[in-house]
Amino acid sequence: MASNRNRGSQKSGARRAENNRIYAHPLPLAFSNPEPGSTFGYVLGLLGFSLTKIENPHCEGVFDPATRSVWITNERDSSILWRRGFFGKGDLSRSEPSWLARQISARKAAGKYMTAEEIREKRRAERKQFKMDRAAAIAKAAAEAEAAFAEGRQAAPAVIPSGATWKPQQLGETAELPEEAPDDKDEDDELEPLKDVEHLQLTLQEAFFLVWNLDCLTVLDPQTSEPLSLQQIWKAFQNVHCVPPELPVYTNRFDNPFLVNYAAYHYYRSLGWVVKGGIKFCVDLLLYKRGPVFHHAEFGVVVIPVYEDSRDQESSPFNLPNANTFSWSWLSTINRVNSQVQKTLILTYVTIPSSSRVSTDLLSSPACLAHYSVRDVVLRRLIPARMRD
Amino acid sequence: MEKHPSYEALAPYLSKYPKIAGPLFQTYNDLKLGQQWTGLELVELSGCSRCAIRGRRPQQVDLLHVVPCSLSESLSTDWIRTTFKELDGPSHVYLAINTEDSSIVYYKISPGIVKPPL
Repeated sequence: MASNRNRGSQKSGARRAENNRIYAHPLPLAFSNPEPGSTFGYVLGLLGFSLTKIENPHCEGVFDPATRSVWITNERDSSILWRRGFFGKGDLSRSEPSWLARQISARKAAGKYMTAEEIREKRRAERKQFKMDRAAAIAKAAAEAEAAFAEGRQAAPAVIPSGATWKPQQLGETAELPEEAPDDKDEDDELEPLKDVEHLQLTLQEAFFLVWNLDCLTVLDPQTSEPLSLQQIWKAFQNVHCVPPELPVYTNRFDNPFLVNYAAYHYYRSLGWVVKGGIKFCVDLLLYKRGPVFHHAEFGVVVIPVYEDSRDQESSPFNLPNANTFSWSWLSTINRVNSQVQKTLILTYVTIPSSSRVSTDLLSSPACLAHYSVRDVVLRRLIPARMRD
Repeated sequence: MEKHPSYEALAPYLSKYPKIAGPLFQTYNDLKLGQQWTGLELVELSGCSRCAIRGRRPQQVDLLHVVPCSLSESLSTDWIRTTFKELDGPSHVYLAINTEDSSIVYYKISPGIVKPPL
């Protein structure tokens, strides 16, 4: 099991080179350089201009208010958005949409590359086997100790497998595969062709970042299939949190959950981090230096909204999580969970402007985001007895 | 969402309980297509304003119950008690916590203290 801990950084050279090639672009916009020898380009360069063109993939997605997300259903856009910046998540997969590949692989039972899910299943099976071996060893040691006590002698020293030293036995697994393959061949002709029912799901924050900052995504209205304007998107993304919609109590509020979460998302994305959801580690966001395929996330972010004016909080129809003072036990729990997986906890305080100081007319455009302030605090546990430097 | 093959089976509940439409849709698809569960049925839990999903894992016989909810919801122990009551007291229930990026985290909830399996 010890080999698993650093496996993320122990990929083979070929795999690393392959990843560097596939995930070369950090954002969906790519730059195409002109041919190096041109004199025109050289002259322009002297004047401070460039012939470099920006390639915009112009991706398209559909807004889905029920799941509060934007769905990318066509494969080309889905692939571009994942490979250039790790935007979105396949709704039936761990990360990139791989459902169709897994189904085909399951039918053939002869996959060349294991998908992330298949690697996970293998790891889980091994962990389960380890737990069973360990439980058996503990039971055996207990029985031995009982017997030894009854006979009045010393028990033999117990050998209990630990995570660091246990190795998976390969015997049982390989025996099964050859039996399954012949059955599949007969059924293959009768199975209907697979239709890909998976889509890439972007959170509203990811979608807005792509629309507003990079202008590489068009969002379609789910009913009319017409592209939504920036103004309509800005309104619609806030309105998903207003249930039922258009009630006066919801309008013109700086503490709309979309705005607060977008402030934090935009902050980290614009600094170059790859930002993904953090529910698996009890945090709001995970920050990756280059992307999930390269290394595990180094930081877990908890977004803590702070109201500049407490009256705004009292009149708020949204119950923003973590907006009230938190307890030491809560902080300790989350820090512990993240330390166990070698992540550092960051508390990100997003200050919501006061509606009495800042005019709510500003809410009609993303310019109001300039009035939110984002401050982050890194948390590390200090053990004075052990940490001397 | 309407064009998705699972929409037809879920349509009556999606319109009846719109607040939980997203989580129900995501959980149903994850169980049916992602986890390949068999025999999926919808069980209405009117006390919790949603419906639960009942089915079996591939190659297993136990009937399992999954209750979808959203990460932004606030739950109480009373709510959990109601789900157990409306499902006729199963030995355990899986709470499917859905997020906007389509991640689902499942928590197994049992009434009373249960010793860990291994």
